[in-house]
Amino acid sequence: MITIDRVSKTKGRTQILYDVTFEARPGQVTGFLGPNGAGKTSTLRILLGLDRPQRGTALVCGRPYRELDRPLTTVGALLDGSGAHRARTARAHLRWVAASNGLPDSRVDEVLEVVGLTGDALKRAGRFSLGMSRRLGLATALLGDPEVLVLDEPVNGLDPAGIRWMREFLRDSAEQGRTVLLSSHLMGELAEIADDVIVIDKGRIVIQGRLADVIGDHRTLEDAFFALTATEAGGAW
Amino acid sequence: MVRLIRAELRKLLGLPTAWVGLVLGTLMAPVVVLLNAPYTRRAIAAGTLTDTPDLGLRDLGIGLIGPVILGVIVVSSEYTSTGEDAPGARQLTATLTAAPDRLRLLAAKTTALVLVVAAQAAITAAATLTLTKVLYAEHAPAPAPTRVVAAILYWVLTALLAYAIALITRNGIVPLTLLILNSTVVSVSYLLTKVTDLAAYLPDIAGAHMFIRSADFPVEIAPVTAGLVMTAWVVALLAVGAVLFHRRDA
Repeated sequence: MITIDRVSKTKGRTQILYDVTFEARPGQVTGFLGPNGAGKTSTLRILLGLDRPQRGTALVCGRPYRELDRPLTTVGALLDGSGAHRARTARAHLRWVAASNGLPDSRVDEVLEVVGLTGDALKRAGRFSLGMSRRLGLATALLGDPEVLVLDEPVNGLDPAGIRWMREFLRDSAEQGRTVLLSSHLMGELAEIADDVIVIDKGRIVIQGRLADVIGDHRTLEDAFFALTATEAGGAW
Repeated sequence: MVRLIRAELRKLLGLPTAWVGLVLGTLMAPVVVLLNAPYTRRAIAAGTLTDTPDLGLRDLGIGLIGPVILGVIVVSSEYTSTGEDAPGARQLTATLTAAPDRLRLLAAKTTALVLVVAAQAAITAAATLTLTKVLYAEHAPAPAPTRVVAAILYWVLTALLAYAIALITRNGIVPLTLLILNSTVVSVSYLLTKVTDLAAYLPDIAGAHMFIRSADFPVEIAPVTAGLVMTAWVVALLAVGAVLFHRRDA
């Protein structure tokens, strides 16, 4: 369960989030949709305790992320890049992350297997392709077998087979009862997997609800989005 | 806490740059002792070398490049970009999602650094002093154990100094340039002591008083006072670094 309550954030002189409020529920894939720069990543970074909001609270299973003792056993997060220092091998990266949360080294081989990187375990992260980096990032997120997954643009850089794999993986995770929150600017992609949709534009939530309700009378999620945000189709996006 | 220290040790020792610091720092001093041996022998024979009790301990200074590198990369490795694909992505994101309590994280990082540098300093000091003993025998009386411990402490404090500056600047370039130039090429702090006696209280100059006796320092500082002065610098800079690290967005 993820609860974001009236979160506002100012960076420099610019306010980038205005009273952002939403929930992501267990057993559901929640899609966090918006154009680049709308505030998706900023919201997720606040949720993960990386950045601080000026106002509001972001809770995971009822607690602020910073108060979680072994956070990886509760939340798995995938942000930009793999998070691995480029001089480190995939295995070495996962091993220190595992140690930090008291997870056994055997988990390292298991998650490498899950994301299909077993053969690249001894390759340095700096030599990874974009797709492999995403997989390594996901492996890191899965180390603690968390009940909540937070993923920022998870299909970015994946090839079609990777996208399909990710989609099935996230659906399966939700079906097993996990809370899955993923951000994306790809509306078609989100429409494929999301149960609930939250649309953010210019730092404000414009609509949230079940996918079908958000689409409403519009033909597609994309049509609904442009109608809601009054952005010119084909404009800056 | 033990979990986090273990993770930080794995992180530090998994970096190739850390091994550059470990190998360089450990080998430089013994190698310099060897290279200087013919000259030092002649000086002892001619009776021009008067500070023989400092032999060995003095040469330890050149190895300080090791603790400086280690102290810096513990921090700078968190901030270097992880790849061209995602220029804003850094290891720090992985670190803070795994250990979101920042002060605990810093405590673990500091402990890991202290453990590694103290081990390195002990090995280097043992090697350098043994070598000095073998080369000069009765001309090089073994220094008192407290002075050896003080030299190890000096290494640890130097590493922490580099670490604290890197924590404030969030990159490795500034502290590396500053401290390596200062400890190898030109000692700006030493030159400053020619201008003002106050410079004797700069951390690197004051710290050296902990274990070196017969140097031409403008102000005599007792070893314990010297240790306290350097510790005060390190604690002050670490406190600033910790407050910034705690407050700043990652």
